[in-house]
Amino acid sequence: MTLKRYLDTPEVGKNFEKRKAGFAGADQGWLSDIRARAMDKFMAAGLPGPKVEEWKYTNLGFLARFLANENFEISKTDPDTTEIKMLFDRAYMGNIAGSVVVFVNGHFNPALSSCPDEDGVKFSIFSENPEAFRQSLAEPKQATSLNNLNRAMVTDGYYLEISAQTTMPQPIQIIHLATSGSDGRSLHTRGKISLAAGAKAKVIESFMGPDGPQYWTHMISDVDVAEKAEFCYFQFQLQGKQAIHMTEMHSTLLEKAKFNHMNLQLGAEVSRSEIMNSLSGEYAEIDLRGAYFGRVKQSQDIFTRINHDRPHCQSNQLFRGVLDAGGKSAFQGKVIVARHAQKTNADQSNKNLLLSRKAEANAKPELLIYADDVKCTHGATVGELDADQLFYLRSRGLDEAAAKELLVEAFVAEVFSNMQSGGDMEILQQRFTEKTRGWLSQEVSS
Amino acid sequence: MLEIKNLRVTVGGKEILKGLNLTINDGEVHAIMGPNGAGKSTLSYAISGKDGYEVTEGSVFYNGKDLLAMDPNERAGEGLFLGFQYPVEIPGVSNMNFLRTALNSQRRYQGAPEVKAVDFLKLIRAKAKELDVDPEMLKRDVNVGFSGGEKKRNEMVQMAVLDPSMAILDETDSGLDIDALRIVADGINRLRGQDKSILLITHYQRLLDYVVPDFVHVLADGRIVKTGTKDLALQLEAKGYAGLGIAENAA
Repeated sequence: MTLKRYLDTPEVGKNFEKRKAGFAGADQGWLSDIRARAMDKFMAAGLPGPKVEEWKYTNLGFLARFLANENFEISKTDPDTTEIKMLFDRAYMGNIAGSVVVFVNGHFNPALSSCPDEDGVKFSIFSENPEAFRQSLAEPKQATSLNNLNRAMVTDGYYLEISAQTTMPQPIQIIHLATSGSDGRSLHTRGKISLAAGAKAKVIESFMGPDGPQYWTHMISDVDVAEKAEFCYFQFQLQGKQAIHMTEMHSTLLEKAKFNHMNLQLGAEVSRSEIMNSLSGEYAEIDLRGAYFGRVKQSQDIFTRINHDRPHCQSNQLFRGVLDAGGKSAFQGKVIVARHAQKTNADQSNKNLLLSRKAEANAKPELLIYADDVKCTHGATVGELDADQLFYLRSRGLDEAAAKELLVEAFVAEVFSNMQSGGDMEILQQRFTEKTRGWLSQEVSS
Repeated sequence: MLEIKNLRVTVGGKEILKGLNLTINDGEVHAIMGPNGAGKSTLSYAISGKDGYEVTEGSVFYNGKDLLAMDPNERAGEGLFLGFQYPVEIPGVSNMNFLRTALNSQRRYQGAPEVKAVDFLKLIRAKAKELDVDPEMLKRDVNVGFSGGEKKRNEMVQMAVLDPSMAILDETDSGLDIDALRIVADGINRLRGQDKSILLITHYQRLLDYVVPDFVHVLADGRIVKTGTKDLALQLEAKGYAGLGIAENAA
């Protein structure tokens, strides 16, 4: 199995040498060491090729363009504040109270941010305080080649720490914007969220950019949810039409911890969302849900892994995909139940709706069960809209587009089934539906 | 007025309707009876425009407009309503949302203003009460988990809310117990009272005890072979199709 692909050009290494003096924390010896070693590892391994099982649906050849781009200088305070403000307004949910943290082209933007400042909450920005990220950079949860690249090139990031028994009263919105000036650039950011025992927090992370430039968002987050802590996370991926969007989230849950993850993938030309989780304490519960949409050259890739390492844990996965002409998706969901993880409850459901014969959905559930007293279910389907349902709606007066919209909305709304409602959740669900509707009403341009 | 002339319809390459003629004047109630396979449901689907029901010859005009040239939703906008033999379940769509979307779609088509949320609630509650339908049922997803009788009653609620000028009811009476049958018949009679036209497609004459038709037609082998009054239905009940010289399963 060879990984080394797409790195035939020596510019990639040279570029790193040229850039390193300008990196955040370049004056910190320990950080420069980590960057240099991570880059060496990346150069030695290369990008994963299509023969690597996890990447068989996503060809990364186009990434070479970003890695070899010499024109890497991207001003930290983009002069076009009008564009930034416009993008911010589209991404920011004003009807949700709470702090907001904004990154523009991979750099923290203090002007638009109001960072969390509550008792029991510690919030750090990488470019201001790299030291806070030392441990997570030195001991990454996963050392894949892309993770190494991210550690070598990291531009900025955030670290949210909630003390024991602290409940954050309001969700935090984290907004990542890319501007027109980001064309050809790679934006490597990191996040770290850690909830101490009994803590509760909610984070809404949005990614947004214009349709013109081809930029590469590459974000890696570590999440630690300690005993009895509860973490709720939403991701709205609303990237520009030519964007490359790649996020990896690695979570570890301890005893009786809860993690709810909701994921909406609407934009980007190529998007891959990896959600890797370890249930490392008994009675931990994880709930991963999401919906992804693709059309015209768009490819959406969801990759999940749940390691049931301890007994009595529960995991639930519910993903829905909607693909129109020219769209492509892959859902790869892996559940690994360790030999001693008895009384595991693991459910996985992935359904895909094809709105055109020219759409493609791949579904690959993978269950590796080594314990013998467990309940694990999985289901994957790929189907079309039901002709009888469509006719029923049309016979009542709905035109074809409205009937389709109603059925697709209903299909996608399943990701909210059996969820608590009210409050922020209702606002988030509304936004989810609104964005879904927006996608559906767009004309297919080819 | 609905005018069907020499209608020929093919389904999956097989001709089901073979030159059907039928005229329904405003305010009239017609019943179509016929043996299995005669083409009763095909007639209802062809009039309402379901895909796969290919009209090869003939015409269907409603109030002077060519229905066959219209999409199903446009036909609904013109005042046509099809009560389904097997109402479709739509998970994830609530009855309320469905009905409001449907009503407003028709109103937009007709150039009328949309119904306000408050007025819609009032309307739907009133109609549910008239038809003895639990308002809770309206919050549930369309027909999901409904019994056969509940589904048919739900069709009547939809009909009452959408207020069509011409209703085609395809075996609306099948699978109903006697109480449900009365409620459904009541819904139909309510519509009839407003001088609307109704085409009842039925297998049994049972429903006709409650909704007395102006005309009864017998459909066999894709054509109307006999027309009469309510007495024809009673004769059929007593003697069977064969007794009237109509071959069973002629298609």
